[in-house]
Amino acid sequence: MNKLRLILVSGLVAALSVVSLNAQSQSDMRLNELLIYNTSDFEDDFGFRNGWIELFNSSYGTVDIGGCFLSNNRDSLTMYIIPKADVLTKIPPRQHTLFWADKEPFRGTFHINFSLEESDTVFFVSSDGRTIIDMIAVPKDLDTNISYGRVEDGSGSVDGSGEGWSVLERTSPSTNNAGVDDETKSQVMAKRDPNGLFITLTAMSVVFLALIILCFIFKFTGHIAVNKLQRKSSAATADSDASGTHVKETSAETYAAIAFALHLYQEESEAHDNESLTITMSHTDRTYSPWNSKIYTLRETPSVRKNPR
Amino acid sequence: MIIDNLKQFWEYTGFANCDWTYLLMILIGLLFIYLAIKKEWEPMLLVPIGFGIIIGNIPLFQGLSVGVYEEGSVLNILYYGVIKGFYPPLIFLGIGAMTDFSALISNPKLLLIGAAAQLGIFGAYIVALWLGFSPAEAGAIGIIGGADGPTAIFLSSRLAPDLMGAIAVSAYSYMALVPVIQPPIMKLLTTKKERLIRMKPPRPVSPTEKKLFPIIGFLVTAFIVPSGIPLLGMLFFGNLLKESGVTRRLAETARGPLIDIVTILIGLTVGCSTQADKFLQVRSVYIFLLGAFSFMVATFGGVMFVKIFNLFLKPGNKINPLIGNAGVSAVPDSARVSQLVGLQYDKTNHLLMHAMGPNVAGVIGSAVAAGILLAFLG
Repeated sequence: MNKLRLILVSGLVAALSVVSLNAQSQSDMRLNELLIYNTSDFEDDFGFRNGWIELFNSSYGTVDIGGCFLSNNRDSLTMYIIPKADVLTKIPPRQHTLFWADKEPFRGTFHINFSLEESDTVFFVSSDGRTIIDMIAVPKDLDTNISYGRVEDGSGSVDGSGEGWSVLERTSPSTNNAGVDDETKSQVMAKRDPNGLFITLTAMSVVFLALIILCFIFKFTGHIAVNKLQRKSSAATADSDASGTHVKETSAETYAAIAFALHLYQEESEAHDNESLTITMSHTDRTYSPWNSKIYTLRETPSVRKNPR
Repeated sequence: MIIDNLKQFWEYTGFANCDWTYLLMILIGLLFIYLAIKKEWEPMLLVPIGFGIIIGNIPLFQGLSVGVYEEGSVLNILYYGVIKGFYPPLIFLGIGAMTDFSALISNPKLLLIGAAAQLGIFGAYIVALWLGFSPAEAGAIGIIGGADGPTAIFLSSRLAPDLMGAIAVSAYSYMALVPVIQPPIMKLLTTKKERLIRMKPPRPVSPTEKKLFPIIGFLVTAFIVPSGIPLLGMLFFGNLLKESGVTRRLAETARGPLIDIVTILIGLTVGCSTQADKFLQVRSVYIFLLGAFSFMVATFGGVMFVKIFNLFLKPGNKINPLIGNAGVSAVPDSARVSQLVGLQYDKTNHLLMHAMGPNVAGVIGSAVAAGILLAFLG
């Protein structure tokens, strides 16, 4: 039974960890927007205009894309490795990052070694170098300074079919495409769940999940505590058996009286943080000294003279 | 000249700027003070709120920089803690430092009642949407059903600051009215046999378990709902101060002077925020009705959950459904209601300690629910 509980609790914790890790994994990254021909759009840090690829973190956790790959060749998915250990590759929740497709990888982390003019498809590849997380066919007929991207940030296909992608009205490197993030969460929720049923079910499930996990954990710790207590008491019983002394069963009233007395003692005295909670009565020897003599600390009792004159 | 000055001065006075709405709000403030002093309904809250309502509804002309909504005024600066939501977590710190979670630790399944009673929040959320409130406003209104004033203020300050005054007053009013609202529902939903169920006495809880509770409790809930960290973090931190055994002075400050100061400030400024022109609206009436509804649904959820849960429990382990109402986080009022209603049917069946379990679970549950609403709608 104990093992079963242990497995259950461990399973829950593991499941939770997997869920939370998965929620913040590289698989949540999306190719979000790209611009092929750049003559009057944004410049890079060196003052050059080139095509660019925007990535979007669609999760609500930070994702480190260091070690992932960008490529334009299915047969060579590891064409450009995004450098590891660069703090800028940690993409905050629901945020974007921009890669310049200028074939100048030595200009920094965000400059890749191929250009979009010569690419048919762009791949974003996991750090294992094999798993394609997202891909999109590059529309070669795109006009100059016009970008192609997801209508809603992060939404749409990941198989290169272009579902959910469109030519955008304006370029928006490192910022939201016209989409969900332009609206408040409340407005989005009003559209998605006008009756509030789904949020109710979701929220109640999460509240129950949180408290069920706590319930299992404290059942488990409680079980350990009870076992420990039983071991202690059986050891104490064995000791008393060996010494021939038997403790009489104590009534609940006695416990209540002792607890109340202890409570009063703690309330009324300036008890310290950790009390031994042992009350003893013992004689204290105090050798006489004028410093502790009560006579010197008391005033003489005033007396009233009957005849002041 | 003097007459002109007097005429001008007259225009500055409250009498010249007064209309019936201000007088009505002042009467409401007086009613709160009366209920607090005469009936002793939540006096720690209703006295500051009641007097705050009076302060906030003295008619004045704009430009004196004294009103709660006037930038830079003293009241406005004090109100900042409500707007920015830093008073509620401080109150949670104090609540954590004064709450004994032993009843919950000894019988962890009572945690689930605290989850079930959060149904009131989402019941009110659905009805508020139906009445035409936006999802953010509906979420802020729904949280009244958590029966937790600080949580209601915290969430409404983030989701619907315009409705915060009405929501806070509604939440605190209904918390005071728990002994009136809950018993009829509890009696309606339970049979006499169920009301007489005797529960097993809670087992003793070791100090180690008490120390572990806030740490594990925080880690689990915060990982699931990070948006609830301000409330959950402070609640469990306060409890660790209490249970660690080595920070007695800090715990005493948190549950004593600190919570008292913040309660005074939060009560007074929330009362002040109920200026007639902002408070007396049809929406406020809806909020009050929804508040009552959410309390009823929360009580219903808690009691019905226990009844259903009992179907799966062995005869000796059954839970008295009269403690289901305590799943709302009005600590300790709703647990006291369980005790009083229980005693009406069996003079020797004391439910108070058992009811404290779901009661404190309700505090955790409502903070988690607030975190979820904040994540979805904030």
